[in-house]
Amino acid sequence: MDALEQLSHHAQELQESFNSTIVIGSSTFGMTQYVLWMVICWIITCVVVLTVARKLTLVPTNKFVNTVEYGYQFVRNDMGEGIIGHGFKKHVPFLATLFFFILVSNFVGLIPGCKTPTGTISVTWALATLSFVYFNWCGIKAHGGLGYIKSIAPSGLPAPMVPVIWFFELISLILRWLTLAVRLYGNMFAGHMVLGIFALATGIFLTTGIEAMSPTAGISVAWFALLLVMYALETLVAFLQAYVFTVLTAVYISLATSAH
Amino acid sequence: MEIELVLSALKVIGYGLGAIGPGVGIGLACYGCCVGTARQPEVQGRLFTNFIIGAALAEALALIGFVLAFIL
Repeated sequence: MDALEQLSHHAQELQESFNSTIVIGSSTFGMTQYVLWMVICWIITCVVVLTVARKLTLVPTNKFVNTVEYGYQFVRNDMGEGIIGHGFKKHVPFLATLFFFILVSNFVGLIPGCKTPTGTISVTWALATLSFVYFNWCGIKAHGGLGYIKSIAPSGLPAPMVPVIWFFELISLILRWLTLAVRLYGNMFAGHMVLGIFALATGIFLTTGIEAMSPTAGISVAWFALLLVMYALETLVAFLQAYVFTVLTAVYISLATSAH
Repeated sequence: MEIELVLSALKVIGYGLGAIGPGVGIGLACYGCCVGTARQPEVQGRLFTNFIIGAALAEALALIGFVLAFIL
């Protein structure tokens, strides 16, 4: 079989391997592989953060503690203080939890053999729902129920324009929910798909080239170089998506709570 | 089989067309953020926040296309 034909054949198998399959229990009460990895990521996050919290000292000497503290400081200063501004302190725990959990989830998926929990739409929907409920709740607490509904439209508009702008702002408010979920899912899913295709191409071109004793086996070196480049890019994207998700949550909180 | 293939190809083409606008939009937003920061580095924080909001709004269109390509 031709190498390209084999590649398209295996690419379908690869795509099917991304579907949720039940690994523990039955379909009524059980876990898919993504939920299993989500629990693992949750345990990793808890273990890392709690061990660091027990070893906190005024002057950090432990390198590991220092690293995690830097991450927390990053969330607190860049995302909390920089974006929410006044009264950011009560939002920092939520933001830090989101950031660390998504960061761990994204990086776990980069280890070969592991699945990324954020590579499925159900997990990202859950995260986006948490964020959506949280920032709306903050807005309702800051303005009161009716005041929050009114504050969706920016103030200072001419009176006849208010209902129209309010309606558009409402759509954009609901779209935030969708985009938070789909952005994370799309980036993770597409990235792992690309990595999988390049890894498949490396193997297939190598084996077919050696079988046919032709110099096309050399192409697999190029595929492998591309795979390494994409892997580096995916490492960046894994961090960036955790950052973007948290920053956007912070931005939405500040938009919901600020007086227009 | 043939029609299904054409349909799935059309979905991908539609998504590709839908991604042009947000691509240009995010590029413009990033350009503005970079130029503004170069001229006045002290407002970098506020510029970056606005850049993230703008990029998120522009990206929403591409993401809707992505979702439509899956669900249609």
